[in-house]
Amino acid sequence: MDKNNRVLGRMGARELTEQEVDAVQGALRVHHTLTPCFIDKQKQLLNGDQAIGECGP
Amino acid sequence: MKLIVLAPEDDNHTAPIKWALEKAGHRVVCWAGLSYTEDCQASLLINQDDTVVLGGHSVDPGDVIWVRRPELPEPNPKVSEADKKFAALEYRSFYHSLAYFLETLPVWCINRYSAARVMIQKAVQMRLARQCGLKTPSTLMSNHPATVREFFARENARTICKGFTPHVWQKEGQMSVAITETFELTADQLPSDEVLTYAPAIYQERVPKDFDIRMVLMGNQIYSYALKNTKQALDWRQDAGLGHVTAELVPTPPDVEKGVLEFARQSGLCFGSLDFGVDAQGQWWFLEINEQGQFLWIDQFNRDARLLEKFCAFVTSPQGSTLPLETRQDLFPSLAEYEELLKNEQVAPVGRPRPDDPFLSLEA
Repeated sequence: MDKNNRVLGRMGARELTEQEVDAVQGALRVHHTLTPCFIDKQKQLLNGDQAIGECGP
Repeated sequence: MKLIVLAPEDDNHTAPIKWALEKAGHRVVCWAGLSYTEDCQASLLINQDDTVVLGGHSVDPGDVIWVRRPELPEPNPKVSEADKKFAALEYRSFYHSLAYFLETLPVWCINRYSAARVMIQKAVQMRLARQCGLKTPSTLMSNHPATVREFFARENARTICKGFTPHVWQKEGQMSVAITETFELTADQLPSDEVLTYAPAIYQERVPKDFDIRMVLMGNQIYSYALKNTKQALDWRQDAGLGHVTAELVPTPPDVEKGVLEFARQSGLCFGSLDFGVDAQGQWWFLEINEQGQFLWIDQFNRDARLLEKFCAFVTSPQGSTLPLETRQDLFPSLAEYEELLKNEQVAPVGRPRPDDPFLSLEA
């Protein structure tokens, strides 16, 4: 990764290992999580508090 | 009366709420959003009796429309390459027509699309919150390096940085990820001016918080939960998923409740999830509101919260009702019951793959 041209938000991002991603999913009894920030590694999506179903600008 | 949910049926909040409402005898239908497929087609007829039909479901007077998370409009992929741009714009315009038109009908929209569109803007939220008497931290949104550096030069002030939207970077071929998170930053740590122009960001006075509050607004009712994070992290979101957070019901201070209800009145929002930080003096600092934020996770952390039942009571009450939701929450089954069915595969799994996630990037 070229760190010289990355955005500030990427520099401050929290790194989660694969084990931690697993832990997020495994911490809850259901096969999906309802928490405000969540990565579904099989489906590759972020299920967060914000949605952008607003249909663009 | 029926509830029309603008979201896919397998959305992680739609599915359990639809199940609970149906179990209590209410009618619920879903419309995932505008698309070329039959179940996502829509019509809007304007004549003496204006009618809207969403995926075969007519919108009738007295209906409740929960604008949960409709998907982005999707044109038919078979359209000629030469017409794709036009078709995409037409789909988008028609979707906007539908979304704004709904709130002109004699139905209850949770929330009205126009209010949601304005209030998703964090700058608007902060200003309105302050005008409504809520305490807000000093905040700069900028991509102008000199202004950013000037903000960091404030005396005796600590500063955090956060994005306007969440994002995830996944390394190609790996399952480890990096997730945007609020982080503290000092003037010395600021990158070059060039980097500050790569993406605008939100720079904010760091609230000296002892703990966080997640508040859920349902009409005139407010429920506040203290989130205690054993890791003492600045941002509790990932720690919630990792099980490091507890959620305890706490009373909302009267001045905060008054400010939030005024915020709701002025913004036009009747539902949302709000975040506050509470400092050592017990002052509540407004941080943000997500008008369709996740809230059922609190039921998983605190079984007494019963937000699923409260939400069901909320959407089946008359619009503007001031009756406490607790008086009707027993009419509905709990999230725990749904989870048991899910575990035993007695209800359909939730969350289908999406072709493209705008919040996810791959990196080398």
